[in-house]
Amino acid sequence: MTDLGSILRYATPIALPALGESLGEKAGVINVGLEGLMLGSAFAAAMTTLKTGNPWLGLLAGALVGILIALLLGLFAITLGQDQIVVGTGINLLSLGVCGSVYERVFGKSGKLLTFAQLPTYKAGGFLGNLDLAILLLASTIAFSIWLLNKSSLGLKLRAAGEYPNAVVASGFSVQRVRYIGLVLMGLIAGLGGAYFAVGVTGSFAPGYIAGRGFVAIAMVTFGRWKPVWILLGSLLIGYADRLQLDLQAAGIKLPLQVLLALPYVLTLIVLVVLGKGVRAPAALGKAYTER
Amino acid sequence: MRKALAWLSLAAMASAVLLGCGNNGTSSTSTEGSGSTTSESQEFKVALLTPSEVSDAGWSAMAYDGLKAIESDLGARIDHQVAKDSQIKSAMRAYAQKGYNLVFGHGFEYNEPGVEVAADFPDTIFVSSSGSKTAKNAGAIRFYLEQSFYIAGAFAAKMSKTGVVGMVGGPEVPSIKSTFKAFRAGALAANPSVKVLEVFTGENDDIAKAKQAAQSEIGQKADVLIHQANSAAQGVFDACKEAGVYALGANLNQNDNESGVVLASALIQAKPAFLELAKRVKEKKFDGDVVTLGMDSGAIDFVLNPGLEAKVPKDVLDYIKKLQEDVKSGKVVVAKDKF
Repeated sequence: MTDLGSILRYATPIALPALGESLGEKAGVINVGLEGLMLGSAFAAAMTTLKTGNPWLGLLAGALVGILIALLLGLFAITLGQDQIVVGTGINLLSLGVCGSVYERVFGKSGKLLTFAQLPTYKAGGFLGNLDLAILLLASTIAFSIWLLNKSSLGLKLRAAGEYPNAVVASGFSVQRVRYIGLVLMGLIAGLGGAYFAVGVTGSFAPGYIAGRGFVAIAMVTFGRWKPVWILLGSLLIGYADRLQLDLQAAGIKLPLQVLLALPYVLTLIVLVVLGKGVRAPAALGKAYTER
Repeated sequence: MRKALAWLSLAAMASAVLLGCGNNGTSSTSTEGSGSTTSESQEFKVALLTPSEVSDAGWSAMAYDGLKAIESDLGARIDHQVAKDSQIKSAMRAYAQKGYNLVFGHGFEYNEPGVEVAADFPDTIFVSSSGSKTAKNAGAIRFYLEQSFYIAGAFAAKMSKTGVVGMVGGPEVPSIKSTFKAFRAGALAANPSVKVLEVFTGENDDIAKAKQAAQSEIGQKADVLIHQANSAAQGVFDACKEAGVYALGANLNQNDNESGVVLASALIQAKPAFLELAKRVKEKKFDGDVVTLGMDSGAIDFVLNPGLEAKVPKDVLDYIKKLQEDVKSGKVVVAKDKF
C-alpha cells in the first residue's frame, strides 16, 4: 500500500500543469504545447541542478523557462492571433527538437543515465510517508487559483476574457493584456510542475520522459470542469491508480497488461462522469481576439 | 504588417524545429546529386535503423556505438534513422537506392521487411537483430542475451536475503519477455523457492514510472532487481538506492552507475559483433544467414561490479563463475524464444 506522500509526489507533475493550464484556458487560451513546456522546464531544471548542485535553483530555472515558453505561445496566439492548436503543436515539436539535440550535444549521441541532487524530503512516517515540497506547491496553487478566480478583480477579468472578451473591452481593459497575464500564470505553474518532475520526482532526465503527462494534464482540465479542486482530485486519482496498477502487477495479479495500463484513465473517467455536472468550457476558448 | 510578421516568425520557428530534428542525419546530404558518377559505388556505406532514438543509453545506443566503430575502423560512410512500423520499408528502400552496402535494422521487427525489400535490391545486404527469415542478401544476428539474464537470475536468487527478486520492463515486447523468462529460469534453478516478480511500465523512457514499478516490487519484499528499461533504468537504480537494495544492469555495462547499487550487469558487447558483420559484408562473404551470438563468441557477458565484489559471499562467487563456464561451454542450455 502506498502512502500519501508518494501519491502526492507522483501526481504533482500532472496536477500542477493541469492547474496552470486551467488558468490559461479560463482566460481563453488553450496551450496544447503543455507537454513541450514541461519538457523544456524539466530540462532547464535538470541542467541547472547538474551545473550548480542546487535543486532549488533548478526549480527556479524551470519556472522561468515555463514563463518564457508561455510568452512565446502568447506572441503567436495572442499578439499575432494565430490558431492556438497549431501554435501549441509547434511548441511541442520545437521543445522536443531543441531539448533532444542539446541533450545529445552535451551527453553524447548514445545518451547517458543522469542523476542529480533532489529536493529534500521530510520523514513524517505512517500513513503520510515522506512529504516534500509537493504538498506546499499543490496547496498554495489551489488556494491561489480559488482566490484568483472567485475573489479577485483580476480573476473576473480573466474569466471575462475567456467567456465574453467584448465585456473586457467595454470595461476599459485590454483583452490581450489580460490573456497574457493568464498565460504567464499558466507558464509559471506548469513550469514548476515540469521542474518538480526533474528535481522532486526523478532526480534524472531523459528526452522522452514526460511521456504524455502534459496531454493527460490537458485532459484533466476538461475532466475537472475547469474547477481547481476537481482538477486536483482528478490528478490525484490518476496518480493513485497509476501506482495501483504497478502494485497489482508486482503482487502477481493476473490481468492483461493492457487492462492494467488503462486502469488509471478508466477510473478517472468514471468518477468524473458520475460526479461532474454539466459545466461547459469557456465560451471564447481558443478564439483569437483582435482589438479594434 | 501583422500578417508578414506572423509568417516570418512561423518560418523562424519552423526552421528551428527542423534544426532540432535534422541533427539526426549525420552526413546524408553531402554528396548527393553533385557527382553521381562511378566513385560513389566504390565507397563502403552502412546505414542503421533503430526503433527509438539512439540517445536511449540502452538498446539503440549500443547499435549506434557499433555503427560508429564501423565508421572509424572500416572507414565506412554511415547514416542513421529512427524507423518504426510503416516507415521501415521505405527507409530501407531509400538507403538501398542510394547505394548503401549494408542496411542494419536493430530489432526483430526489421527482419521480415528486410527479406522482402532485399528481393528488389540484390546489391544491398539487409540484416536485423533477431528474426529467423533469410534470403540470399538478407539475414539476422541474434544476440543470445538470455544466457546472461539466466546467470543474472541465478545470481539475484543467491544474493537475495528475502527470497524475492524483481524485474522491471518497459514495453512488453517479445525480446524483453524472452530475457525475463531466462531470468526467472535462472533464479529458480539457483533457488527453487525464490519468488520472481515482474512489472511492465509500458514505456521506454518514463523514469518516474520505472521508479514506481521498482518501488512496487520492493514493497513486495524484492531486494535484487533487474531491468529492461533503457533510459528509464535510472529510475530503477534510484528506487533501489533509496530502499537500500541491490540492482542489476542490463544491455550495457552499468556497474559504474552513480547510484552505487549495481552489483553486476548482463550485457551485450555489440561493437565487435557489428564490426565482424560489416567486415563480412565488405569482403562479400555474407551469404544470408542467421548468426547466433552467445557467451562463447564474447558478444554476451555477465560482469560483476569490481567495486561491490566484496559484498558477494565466496560461495556465490564460485557458483556464478562455474555457471558462467557451463553456459559458455553449452553444458547449461538456456531457453530462448523464437521471434
